[in-house]
Amino acid sequence: MFPFPAVRGDSTIGEIEHFGSLYTMADYETKAQNVYLSISGSPTAKLRLSSTLMYNKSTGEYDQVNMPDPSIEVSSTLVDQDFTFDDMHEYSNLDYSMIQVSLGLSYKLADGVTFTADGEYADLTDDAGYVYGIESGSLFMVRSGMKFDF
Amino acid sequence: MRHTKIFVGVGLLLLLAATAWGSDTDGVTQETSFWIGGHLIDTSDYYKKVGEYRSFEEDVWPEFGLTYKSTTPNSRFFFKGHYFDRDEMFGMISTKVSDIFTGKFRYNSFQRQTGQDLLENIEAREWLPSVPKGGGKILTHDITDPDADYNYNRKEILSEFSALLSRENNLRLTVAHRAIIKEGTEQLISNSHCFSCHLESKSAKVEDRTHDFQAGLDTKAGNLDVGYKFGYRHYESTTPTPMAYYEDAKHPVKGTSGAEFGSRLNYDGSSMPIDAKPKIEKTSHKARIKGAAGKGQFASSFALSKATNKLTDLSAKSWAGVFNYAVPISPKTRLVAKASATSITADDPYIDVNTFREGKPSAVDFDYIRYSVLDRTTADFTAQIFHRLNPKTTLSFLAGYNRVAREDYPVAGDGTTSSTIIGQAKVRYRQGMKLTTSFKYRFEKTSDPFVSGKGLFEVPGDALEPVHYGYDAATGDSLWGYFYYMREDLWYQAITTEPTDYHEVNLSSTFRPSAKTTLNLKVKGVIDKNGDLDSLDVKHSKLNGNLSFTFMPDLKWVLSGGVSYRMEKSRGPVAVALFDG
Repeated sequence: MFPFPAVRGDSTIGEIEHFGSLYTMADYETKAQNVYLSISGSPTAKLRLSSTLMYNKSTGEYDQVNMPDPSIEVSSTLVDQDFTFDDMHEYSNLDYSMIQVSLGLSYKLADGVTFTADGEYADLTDDAGYVYGIESGSLFMVRSGMKFDF
Repeated sequence: MRHTKIFVGVGLLLLLAATAWGSDTDGVTQETSFWIGGHLIDTSDYYKKVGEYRSFEEDVWPEFGLTYKSTTPNSRFFFKGHYFDRDEMFGMISTKVSDIFTGKFRYNSFQRQTGQDLLENIEAREWLPSVPKGGGKILTHDITDPDADYNYNRKEILSEFSALLSRENNLRLTVAHRAIIKEGTEQLISNSHCFSCHLESKSAKVEDRTHDFQAGLDTKAGNLDVGYKFGYRHYESTTPTPMAYYEDAKHPVKGTSGAEFGSRLNYDGSSMPIDAKPKIEKTSHKARIKGAAGKGQFASSFALSKATNKLTDLSAKSWAGVFNYAVPISPKTRLVAKASATSITADDPYIDVNTFREGKPSAVDFDYIRYSVLDRTTADFTAQIFHRLNPKTTLSFLAGYNRVAREDYPVAGDGTTSSTIIGQAKVRYRQGMKLTTSFKYRFEKTSDPFVSGKGLFEVPGDALEPVHYGYDAATGDSLWGYFYYMREDLWYQAITTEPTDYHEVNLSSTFRPSAKTTLNLKVKGVIDKNGDLDSLDVKHSKLNGNLSFTFMPDLKWVLSGGVSYRMEKSRGPVAVALFDG
């Protein structure tokens, strides 16, 4: 925060030097792929079945970031800082995959009385972890009941 | 919450009264379906992402739903509701009495799980050659509530009523109210400097209330349909504004010079409010008119609105006008022309900040007027021609122009104006029920798209005029130098993600090879680039594809499936400041 000494060229403040900035062009790419399959039907007059399968894969990543040599931009040699940025493109990687399966049935016990049951399973795999840490986890739910029509 | 209960109560009474009034015991049909059961949820590992929009109570819980439908020759009543748990439920009532009265009430609530930002990607320390183990400027963080379970519940309650007041001019009154209530906890992050840049995370309550009320009249005036609608929206957070402690101003390495650093900060050594939410009131008026003009039909509207943050007494005013006209040019050709304009003007508050190095030779007053980047006038014109080439093929061509004139950005009173010309061609082919295919190409050419007023890069060195900032304690000589804020004059290079050239293609096709099978294909591709950014090659490309099918081998079974693919690629500059340490 103290002022720079009044010298031309690369300014300095104590031991810290300022040399402007450096840039390169880089590509960031996101992809999402989904597959789903659903089937429902009535094998008998009393029984109704349904099932769904879904799969999703989502990724986001930079291509390798290739910064130019800082000596092209400034006259001084920057010896105390590594400007190769070899891992920079991996800082914000996203890599999720999720599978969801559901099964359901309903069976007519009598006129106006139907038994229902269904289940759902979802599993998410996070291979990158970003901001919130690794978010892999799964969820399982079963549900059952009776339906009355009148 | 009291207002919500009043609105809901009055609404339900109106619905039931209207239904009872309109009921006719003759020809009544009623259907009721009641479901009762329970559910069990189990989770493993991190459940907040896989079940982001789910409510979690790990155990067995009761659940029920009810559907009821009643119809008479001149009325209809419908109810549908489902209770999953106390955080997730749905209910809807709709009724219609002849053409005199319609009413709808809807309640919907769900839970959203939100994660905790671990702040691990923002931790760094400057390296100094003389202090091998570090000792320079530092960025640290504290998570004060690491076990916090952040989530909120969102309830939306909608009531809509429409009543025919007079058949003579078809005068109809419409009244609607919508409440959105958001309750839960959220993560707050405060940023304190300049003793050391320090981020602190903590939990805060969320209690947001939004009320949206609308009332309108629609009628016929001769051959014209005219209408007016009044709107009032109120948003408020009912929780106390959270406070955070701003640390003492000190040199980041030496821990000294509090006064020197304090003059560059607005707050230090004190607790101050953070994340203060606004209290918004918005009123709006909208008039519309629709009718015949010549051989065509027109529809037009004009709207005025004003939104005010009651806590800061800052307002934004806007107006918007729309005019659409559709006319047949020939038996096979139709023209649709659209014109619209909008204007937004926001208050320009005076920002009073601490005087930089107050009482010293290089003191600077950084007070300023914050001109709003929202201030703008926009205009849109499009003309589209539809032409039926033959019974199976339709062509359409669109030409358009868009203009955005910014008042105060990037320079107050001398903003930039962006202009876009648009061209689009579309062909649609239909072969009975068997095949429908369309292909569209669209381009947009923009001059002076929005760019950031701050420079992305900095010129190396310090080609600046030094300022007198003090005196040498030993010799009394004047000291001259530069301050960080002066380096803004060295910043250059406009940057934006907005394109100057935009190209889009769309293909959509539905194919029915038999009565049992349907195939759908959709492909969309976009390429854009900005050619105005000197040597920066900023561009984007997108590709969306979707293929789906439905197969019904018999009346008992249905099989459906599909695949989709989405790719987005952005090319832009990655810039770093150069430091030797």
